[in-house]
Amino acid sequence: MVREDLAIRIKDVSKSYRLIRNRPTSLKEAIIRRSRRFSIENFWALRDIDLDIPKGSFFGLIGHNGSGKSTLLKLLSGIHRQTSGSIEINGQLSALLELGAGFHPELTGRENIYLNGAILGMNRRQMSELVEEIVEFSGIGDFVDSPVRVYSSGMYVRLGFAIAVHVNPEILLVDEVIAVGDEEFQRKCLNHMEMLRDKGVTIVLVSHDIEQVRNLCDRVAWIDKASLVEVGDPEEVCDRYLIHVTDGEDSTERFN
Amino acid sequence: MNTLKSRLRTARSYLPLTFNFAERELKVQHKRSVLGWAWSLLNPLSRIFVYSLVFGVIFRFQPPEAGSGQLNFAMYLFSGLVVWLLFESMIRGSMHWLISIGDLRRKVYFPLETVTFGGAAAVGFQALIEALVLIVFMAGYGNLGWTMLLIPVVLLLTAMFGLGIGMIMSVFNTRYRDVENLVVILLSTLFFLVPIVYTEEIIPEKAYGLPAADLIGANPVSQFVSTFRDIVYFLEWPSIGRISLLALYGFTSLGLGWWFLNRQSMALSEEM
Repeated sequence: MVREDLAIRIKDVSKSYRLIRNRPTSLKEAIIRRSRRFSIENFWALRDIDLDIPKGSFFGLIGHNGSGKSTLLKLLSGIHRQTSGSIEINGQLSALLELGAGFHPELTGRENIYLNGAILGMNRRQMSELVEEIVEFSGIGDFVDSPVRVYSSGMYVRLGFAIAVHVNPEILLVDEVIAVGDEEFQRKCLNHMEMLRDKGVTIVLVSHDIEQVRNLCDRVAWIDKASLVEVGDPEEVCDRYLIHVTDGEDSTERFN
Repeated sequence: MNTLKSRLRTARSYLPLTFNFAERELKVQHKRSVLGWAWSLLNPLSRIFVYSLVFGVIFRFQPPEAGSGQLNFAMYLFSGLVVWLLFESMIRGSMHWLISIGDLRRKVYFPLETVTFGGAAAVGFQALIEALVLIVFMAGYGNLGWTMLLIPVVLLLTAMFGLGIGMIMSVFNTRYRDVENLVVILLSTLFFLVPIVYTEEIIPEKAYGLPAADLIGANPVSQFVSTFRDIVYFLEWPSIGRISLLALYGFTSLGLGWWFLNRQSMALSEEM
């Protein structure tokens, strides 16, 4: 069933979160208000998503805030599990989803590098070989031996990105976090991602910078209101997305 | 069977992470403190001092004769306390580790058990140090014997027993934070229902119409404590039947706890 040319195969994936209103947060409440039921509402963050991401592609995900892009990345990285449908991941995956991805504030940058490596299943020896390269790339210098709670947000992202790309992933998921870094670092990240792509790494990038997506990606998916609007050539999808953004609501209907 | 096998395989691939969590637990625990590691030993030692003072000196409890013929209440107390502290730390630790890892788990995937096992390894390490101090202490009174070779076995089974209970409690605690308060109360009650600060001999046969001695004796925690005391204080070999029973408690508890935590982990990760 596994198609060798696909890095990620998403079939009929839906994700609903249970929004629980008036849920008792303590036992006392749970007992006292036993009779009154709290209400559970389903919020559909993604509905019936079908998406194939070919190996070695630079795949862009675009859409409004709250459209479901980040939820999709969360499902791909395994942080949350889909309500229905199936996801096949074909290769070692590394993700940079949020600011300070997997950092423990009390530990130093160096210790966090080892922690993140361990999360990806790498042992101490393997990580020791990568530490210098990661520190070098992130440019955080001597701060590597300070606890990360003293880092600036730029330093967080630089270290997070440096780790994510240096653990030899076959699939790299990047949420819009790199926008936090300065121009120079963003440039460096983009160059590095292109370099990885040339080495055959599959990259999935969520971005609000349409120009960036147009320049980098070879395929783009547009997600709106939990559903996939269209997948295809970056030029065409981005153009229609921009028209939709400027025109407002009615253009969604046209392409549905 | 198949799920158990695949679960063990997954567990092995997450071994580096488990060790990392263990290391982290040991490091973070005493960060920003001057005495650092000394605190981990000062804690049990101060408890031994206080309990010896209250129960040994003021209440004048007479401990039974140790293997070497000593009559020392602190020795008697220390041997029971090592097991109790291990049991207690496993349960309280499990709840704490799961809560404190929420932030990380929201951003990156890893099986939740890794943090629990990592923390458990750190607590186990601490228990080993306490056991070493205990052996040195016993040696100081000339109370040494080959039965002490069983120390790691009994401690491991105690750890498994406590960890399994801890895993179940930690799941409930993630949903309802007052589980932790409840467990703390239950534990401090249980502490006095296990013959640690008093001897098994002074428990009345019947109290309020209940077979008090039998009830306390039937409590698994009492059995762990008294078996440990057999090997380090009385220097007597426990029966095979007794060790098998402890093994049954240990494996059943850990098996159930791990299964439950594993089953709930994806649901928990959205609630953290």
